[in-house]
Amino acid sequence: MSAPHAKDAAARRLIQWHFTVEPELREVYRIVMDDEGSQEGPIRLLEINAATVPTGSVEPFAFSPTEEIPFRTVIAEITPEELESVQANPEALPKGWSLSRAERFVRPKS
Amino acid sequence: MPSREAWAAAFAAQSRSDWQVYGRLAADDQIPACHELHYLQMACEKIAKAYRCRDTTAHLEDLLKRHVGFAKFMGSFLASPSIKEAYRGRDAQLRQVAKLARALAREVEKLAPAVDRAGSPENAEYPWEAGEGVIPPCQYSYPRLSLLVSPGGRTLLKLLARAIQEFHSPSALAIG
Repeated sequence: MSAPHAKDAAARRLIQWHFTVEPELREVYRIVMDDEGSQEGPIRLLEINAATVPTGSVEPFAFSPTEEIPFRTVIAEITPEELESVQANPEALPKGWSLSRAERFVRPKS
Repeated sequence: MPSREAWAAAFAAQSRSDWQVYGRLAADDQIPACHELHYLQMACEKIAKAYRCRDTTAHLEDLLKRHVGFAKFMGSFLASPSIKEAYRGRDAQLRQVAKLARALAREVEKLAPAVDRAGSPENAEYPWEAGEGVIPPCQYSYPRLSLLVSPGGRTLLKLLARAIQEFHSPSALAIG
């Protein structure tokens, strides 16, 4: 499998699992950047989770690959209210992040 | 200026050292709880900063100046591939662990004197007003953190230990 396809599949597995284990997770934005096609470029997720603490900022943390998810992963959590703020003020996103380019995943209906 | 990798490694190393001191203080019941909790809070804040420094889109100088929230870090760590692997086939258990870990992480974060001083003055370093009196941390019992010694609470400590340990693993060090 090519790197982009393998990364897409890994990202989807990770996001699907997040919806399974996080009851308050509302939606996930997979942030797409210019290095998306490379093995080195991480999977970047902005997760809208009502269970997280509002801080007024977007704080991504970077994690190592594993056997199942063999890509670096960068994850930031914000509340639904913080999402509204970010949508009104996109400059609050980390450098290079854009919601308009992102792939959006909504919580599957149970 | 030193690289972000150098800063990240240094924050992780200091976090590990704070964590070790926490362990020693926690084992001595003659020492007031505030001291072990102070080291626990510092270990948490620094490991969060270490993982934050590895995000290459962040402006390093801003990162070094700003407080990095441990509660937000714990949320992201619970969603990391490593935790997915560790809790394979135990989704229901992880849901319970995550709920308590998030709550306790927020309480640990509040131990820093700069965090939520108005709403939650019970920090681990400086005295605070209580009615007409002033309470020194060394005479306070931190009831909201008593869960740390419960089986569920100990899971937060295990998660923290895992985050510190993984940062120093060879695959983690490859992140730039």
